[in-house]
Amino acid sequence: MKHIDPQVHRVLDGELPAEVLTASQREQLAALTRAAEALSALPRASVAARVMTEVRRPPESAGRRVARWLTERHAVTISVRPIWSLALAVVLAAVAVIPGRGPGPILGDQEGIAQFVGRFPGARSVDVVGSFTDWQSGAVVLRDDEHDGIWRGTVVLPVGQHEYMFVVDGERWVTDPLAGRYVDDGFGRQNALLFVRPIVR
Amino acid sequence: MNLRCGILLVLTAAAPLAAQGPRQRLAGHVPPATLAVLDSIVQDAAGAGLPTEPLIQKALEGGAKGEAPARIVSAVAASAAQLRSARALLTSAGESPPSDPREVSAVAAALSRGVSPQLVGSLSAALPGEPTGPALHAVADLVGHGFAEDSSVELMVEGARLGLRGLRFLDVAAAAVQELQRGRSHSAALASVRVLLPHLPAPPRAAPAAVSRARRVQPSHERP
Amino acid sequence: MNSSRVIPTDREVSDPEVVARVLVGDVEAFGIVLRRYEPGLLRYATRMLGHPDAAADAVAEGLVRAYRHLASCRDPARLKSWLYRIVGNRCRSHLARRSASDISLDDAPPLPDMSDTEAETERAEQMALVQRALETISPEKREAFLLKHVEGMSYEEMAEATGERIPTLKMRVHRARAALLQALKEYP
Repeated sequence: MKHIDPQVHRVLDGELPAEVLTASQREQLAALTRAAEALSALPRASVAARVMTEVRRPPESAGRRVARWLTERHAVTISVRPIWSLALAVVLAAVAVIPGRGPGPILGDQEGIAQFVGRFPGARSVDVVGSFTDWQSGAVVLRDDEHDGIWRGTVVLPVGQHEYMFVVDGERWVTDPLAGRYVDDGFGRQNALLFVRPIVR
Repeated sequence: MNLRCGILLVLTAAAPLAAQGPRQRLAGHVPPATLAVLDSIVQDAAGAGLPTEPLIQKALEGGAKGEAPARIVSAVAASAAQLRSARALLTSAGESPPSDPREVSAVAAALSRGVSPQLVGSLSAALPGEPTGPALHAVADLVGHGFAEDSSVELMVEGARLGLRGLRFLDVAAAAVQELQRGRSHSAALASVRVLLPHLPAPPRAAPAAVSRARRVQPSHERP
Repeated sequence: MNSSRVIPTDREVSDPEVVARVLVGDVEAFGIVLRRYEPGLLRYATRMLGHPDAAADAVAEGLVRAYRHLASCRDPARLKSWLYRIVGNRCRSHLARRSASDISLDDAPPLPDMSDTEAETERAEQMALVQRALETISPEKREAFLLKHVEGMSYEEMAEATGERIPTLKMRVHRARAALLQALKEYP
């Protein structure tokens, strides 16, 4: 990084007059001043009309907001508050669930639980496909038991880092919008990234 | 507070996947023309002591997503390069050589999320002998929500100094994001979390009904 | 004789008065806020994001949000800093979401058309050059340089707009100057 003399900084911060600078210091001052001037041109476009149109619009009633949300297609859940989605996706495995004494396996020390939820009204099937399924469909199939378009599933996974996407109707790959954490898949899309924690005992 | 839950175990096909070589795992899942070159990339990585499961997963992913052969090969090669970079950073940060393949994979994933490579050294110094992957991911979480990288790293280093380890760093990031979503500025959000360290509030717990049935998926990646 | 009531021009109405008028229901008074601050905010967002469309979205959404939450502006005399904070947050979130491959130097300020004068052409080229250099420095340093030297804020105003401490901002501005000077030297 190019060094700038402290005197130049003090002039630019308004602490000293420019007259105290040497010729080479003034060159630096001039270069930065020219750069700032070049950036100072105001854009020709304006968003004022767009903003005023929006602020003049009468506020939407609660009923209309709900109706609009219900008719839009988007993979969001109504059972998980968005501000918790990051913590939930990250930490769900550390749920306060102590496996009961009934039939079924006890989770190992290196296993945890992950819950997947997505809103896909009208879908016929929703799979979770990821590093824990060798990217094959059919291993983690979500269910819409209440026929409300909300697809859910709970899975035991090894502790650690996992990547996944939803596959809707066997063909449409969808990034989980509630995952809160993503990584480029190297193919132009984004995988959700999940950290599974050990069960709290 | 024992909570009853019925956890159903669903056993998938019992193929000993972990024991299969790369070719066997990839055959039928990637374009045949790519098998030889993908196998070569994976073998090279194994020879260099890098984790190979992320590379096999990337190839399987490309095949499942219907990507073109060249794109699959390119993505797997890029993943191998990321793993090499991650291990080089960990080595130069003092871990010679990095012993846990999961740490190399975690650091590679964090770097691909955009964290600056020099953070590996900063966090390694703050966490001698401990994995840096979780802290790097926590920084990436914060940067993804508009927090400045330098301030995010400072918070993690402070957490490390106060004894936080492992995935607890993700709780730090989650707490800061919650504060942001409550309307605080980025710096106020970090400041309010800093005050709480190391005693962060427990993360929210899922209701018992929501986990009343969990299915186990037989994973095929390397076990520790 | 006509009423002696004088209708104040935009210039004569202070920010606290404008805010008070909007809060009692005078929607059109928000137009004063736009005339006063929208050009600077749009310039700032365009320089931050290097992408005019993304900047327009960030500023429009930010200003609508500012209108809807105007009651939460605790000190209307510092309305400018408050607005820059809102738009700055949107820009930072946008940058964090965007991968490096999305940054297009072609999305920098549009090149002049053939009807522009030679002087305008030269100005546009110079602006494109500086914008390219600006995009090589980190978002934090870029923001600090723009607020200080393009939007003309004091360090106190910058602290209100960013929530950062003044020493931190001074350091970022100093580093931004050095980094920008270096970047400008590297471009022919």
